[in-house]
Amino acid sequence: MSNETTSAVPSGLPRGGSDPRASASYTLTGVTKTYQKGRRTIFALRDVNLAIPAGEWLAVQGRTGHGKTTLLQVLGGLDQPDSGSVTFGGRDLSQLRERQVTKIRATSIGFIFQTFNLVATLSAAENVEAALIPLGVTSAKRRRLVAAALDSVGLADRAQHLPSELSGGQQQRVAIARALVKEPRVLLADEPTGNLDQDTRDEIIGLLEKLWRDRQLTLVLVTHDSSVARRAERVATMVKGQLKMTDRL
Amino acid sequence: MFFLTYLRRELQQRMRQAVVIAAGLGLGIGLVVTVTALSSGVRTAEGKVLGSLYGVGTDITVTTPVQPASGAGGSGGYGGFTPGPNVQHTDKLTSPTQGPISSSAVTAISRLHDVAAASGGLTLTEIKATLPGTNQPLSGSFQPPVQLSVVGAQVGRKALGPLNAAHRKSGREFTAADANADVAVLDSDYATAHRLAVGSVVTVANTPFTVIGIVTQPQGSSPPSIYIPLKRAQALAIAGLGAGTVNTVYVEAASAAAVGTVSREISRLMPSATVTNSGTLAKSVAGSLATTSKLATTFGTWLAVLALLAAFAVASLLTLAAVARRVREFGTLKALGWRSSRINLQVMGETIAMGIAGAALGVAIGFTGALLASQAAPSMTATVSTYNTNTKGGFGGQAGAGGAIFSGTIGGPMTTFANPNATHQVPVPFSAPVSDAAIVVGVALSLGGALVAGSLGGWRVTRLRPAEALASVG
Repeated sequence: MSNETTSAVPSGLPRGGSDPRASASYTLTGVTKTYQKGRRTIFALRDVNLAIPAGEWLAVQGRTGHGKTTLLQVLGGLDQPDSGSVTFGGRDLSQLRERQVTKIRATSIGFIFQTFNLVATLSAAENVEAALIPLGVTSAKRRRLVAAALDSVGLADRAQHLPSELSGGQQQRVAIARALVKEPRVLLADEPTGNLDQDTRDEIIGLLEKLWRDRQLTLVLVTHDSSVARRAERVATMVKGQLKMTDRL
Repeated sequence: MFFLTYLRRELQQRMRQAVVIAAGLGLGIGLVVTVTALSSGVRTAEGKVLGSLYGVGTDITVTTPVQPASGAGGSGGYGGFTPGPNVQHTDKLTSPTQGPISSSAVTAISRLHDVAAASGGLTLTEIKATLPGTNQPLSGSFQPPVQLSVVGAQVGRKALGPLNAAHRKSGREFTAADANADVAVLDSDYATAHRLAVGSVVTVANTPFTVIGIVTQPQGSSPPSIYIPLKRAQALAIAGLGAGTVNTVYVEAASAAAVGTVSREISRLMPSATVTNSGTLAKSVAGSLATTSKLATTFGTWLAVLALLAAFAVASLLTLAAVARRVREFGTLKALGWRSSRINLQVMGETIAMGIAGAALGVAIGFTGALLASQAAPSMTATVSTYNTNTKGGFGGQAGAGGAIFSGTIGGPMTTFANPNATHQVPVPFSAPVSDAAIVVGVALSLGGALVAGSLGGWRVTRLRPAEALASVG
């Protein structure tokens, strides 16, 4: 983890009307999600019941194609379950309109992807700034928040670099800065170290752990890597769409 | 502003695609602008020809055919000669191809609804001939007859009539005081050919007329040689063209839209009359001008439409392809909390920027195309029906470009003096001007194409589900 990192990010960002950050806990009840593959029905999630208290770090493990990413997408409101309910901060996401879910994503949920998903044509600073656009933050304030976010991940000097000019670890740091610049209460990370070498992996996980602690984030981290999963408070395993709580560290 | 920053970055980083879309739109728009300019140029050229045939301000002309009973074909009719044993000299004003129209008919036309003004005129042919006697052999001193076109014009009515498009070169025009005077206005070509000037004297129907002015008519017309006051023409013309009688009525409609209606009303009023307006006259124009006109209005228009559709299709397909390539990017933006409408706006902004570039390129291509067409266009000609004759005829032969036929049998009665179907070719100057309207239309089409492409891209974005967009991630 970089010594340059700080936890100080300016606050004062817009809040939603009912402020879903008031409680960043999840409750999943009987959540099922299926896909059609030809004539076969694939259960991505099968009757998943899960409670994630606010501020918890939950690691989700499992083999490829067993529903880890689908679980993360359902938690992030990117997908709707076929049945069951996903309650976030006391609100059932499946009952909300798309616009309301979009607003919750904009204000309260940060995403980190395995392949970073940075916009290739935008600089590091502009990629981070993109997360503030839905919040209607003024340009001057955006610049200040972006600078602080990049500083917090140790990339203040790479603000104007394009993603193609950054290493994999640096790109993931930019993605973390983008996820955290809006001060979310929840961070959903999908294999954040999957494309990184071991040293960089440790660096990124260290950074995430620090940010989780400093900001009291609810962190759901999907990973193949048991060494990464072991650093979480709780570990769950997805097997053919079913969730099994395997351990509490 | 982030919108513009993102826009600029996208256009910069995906320059090749932006250039292809803008170039596609630009080519389509350029072709539209060029074809529009060509059409405009052809219309202008056609208008010049028609205007010169017709006269500015005159919308409709009315004539009647010669009735055989009126004597046109008889020995006592227009210009008929009765052969005799001795040499005969003749100088007569006749109306070989147009029948008489009474002054009451002119008045009736002028009172029709949507008629702004109507004026009568006499379009005549002066025939000067020396006919040998029947008992005298043809000799080398035989002189062919001379035909001369003479028009009797209403004085003080320059705005409507045969002189309305004329440009005064020297001297003066007719005034109301000239109504009964033996004064004439000459066409400049005739005056030059016969070395006549203001103050000279010309003889019409054995009557000397003092030249008071020289005029030129627009290119494309076949103007008469001599203009004399209508009353004097009526007095000198033979066979039924007496006082108050004319053989051409010039009509000005109240509006361009009323020309057709007025033409039909005149046809109802005078069933045997030939009513000619710009539409019917345009049909008589042939030659390369007419060919170009048809090309511009048919092939050119279709070519422009096809090019435009192709440009729109290329822009739309490339935009859809670009959206497909950026699915993950848009999915990520949705994950960040961007609304679909905001992403649509971004896509739309990019295509509109390309549309603006395409419009600029298209206008430039259009200007270049129009310039090249103007410079490379071969000289065009219009073949138009001859309206007046001013040539020397020959017995039984066609006389020169004017095409007047003076047929008959030597020693026998001469029955026909002019060929109403005669044509002549006039050169038409051509240029393809790019009008402001064409530029506006080009820009609007380019932006419209960009909007169509952007809308299709936006539609694709709206249908994009974030989970599907990010599917390749996990």
